[in-house]
Amino acid sequence: VGHDETGFAEFFQASWDPCLRAVAASTGDMLLAEDQVAEAFARAWASWRKVSRHPAPRAWVVRTALNAGASWWRRRARELPLADHDVAASGSSGTGLDTAVLTALRRLPARQREVIVLRVFLDLDIETTARQLEIAPGTVRAHLSRAVTALRNELARADTTEADPCQTTIR
Amino acid sequence: MSDNNQMTEAPELHELRDTLSGVAVPGRPRLETITARGRAHRRRRLSAVAGLSVAGAAAGTVLALGLTGVLGPARTPGTIRTASFTLVSNSDGTATLTINPKELLDPAALQSDLTQYGIRAKVTSGSFCSSSPAPAGFSQVVSFHPAAPGTQTPQSGVQLTITIDPAAMPAGAELSVGYFRLPSGEQQADVVLIDSNSNTCTSTPPDPNGPPTGYNQSDSLGLLYGGPGPAGS
Repeated sequence: VGHDETGFAEFFQASWDPCLRAVAASTGDMLLAEDQVAEAFARAWASWRKVSRHPAPRAWVVRTALNAGASWWRRRARELPLADHDVAASGSSGTGLDTAVLTALRRLPARQREVIVLRVFLDLDIETTARQLEIAPGTVRAHLSRAVTALRNELARADTTEADPCQTTIR
Repeated sequence: MSDNNQMTEAPELHELRDTLSGVAVPGRPRLETITARGRAHRRRRLSAVAGLSVAGAAAGTVLALGLTGVLGPARTPGTIRTASFTLVSNSDGTATLTINPKELLDPAALQSDLTQYGIRAKVTSGSFCSSSPAPAGFSQVVSFHPAAPGTQTPQSGVQLTITIDPAAMPAGAELSVGYFRLPSGEQQADVVLIDSNSNTCTSTPPDPNGPPTGYNQSDSLGLLYGGPGPAGS
């Protein structure tokens, strides 16, 4: 009933990869991300009339995927080991998700990560990012700035550890 | 504007972008798979809207029976509220379970309330029951409700909403909900489908980092929640 199948098909074809990459990079688990993104696209189809008029439909999909309640609970369990060890979450091997910079991304607080996903991965401008997250543009800038600082520190730490392997073996 | 650009020109963000483009992604699922899933969402939503707009319990019951066909007489539309969960019987024959992560789950109450709503389930405390092979169709029976986009997701006290469709339950199968109170103070619940006549139970909680042994990610739901903290226990 007025459901624009062609429009959705085009959107799906063009947006699946970038949305999946953004969600997988944020969660560290490709298998889980695949399921979350498929669910989000299904919901986008079901509400296509609304989503097609959304200012940033890809952001809608990514946020829906990342907000997937059940997955969030499961993911939380997956993220716990990452806080203490440099162990990649299951489903990341061979996908390129276990690079230092993406591991560092996943250590950021959830809000900073969301800002990175929307602003950097989906290339939304500050104002649209702010609207998506229902926060002020200034807050987006602040999160982004903190995220950059945190990433810089994490990467510097990773470099130091790599450069001095003895550091990890001395007890 | 220059502010924005300066920030996104940070080398770390460049590196992130470059790395992201190198992430290998599996092939797209078929469009039909997505639209079929989307259709199920629309049906559910339309049924819910229809259920709300139909005045009177009798009309509601007729609608529920018309949509689901074979539900037993024990099904009565309504809502059961306990401290740890809320169970709502929907007019389309499904039931929506919302878990309150701040409270300890009452497995016995959940078992009897699911039964009251026509959902065959085995809710166990301190053990988890599974079948090998696992019955198919979990994703048709159980779906999860994320927060709607654009709404605030609470930082704490997040509630998980699960919709269960008893009409989609394969013959001879039932839901297994294994509930554990972990030494850390957290609660773990794993939900799968089991064969009613052939299943085994173990007192070891499934590994929270992946699906229970013998099940795929898409055949199970694992919850880890609550735990030590100001409002945790």
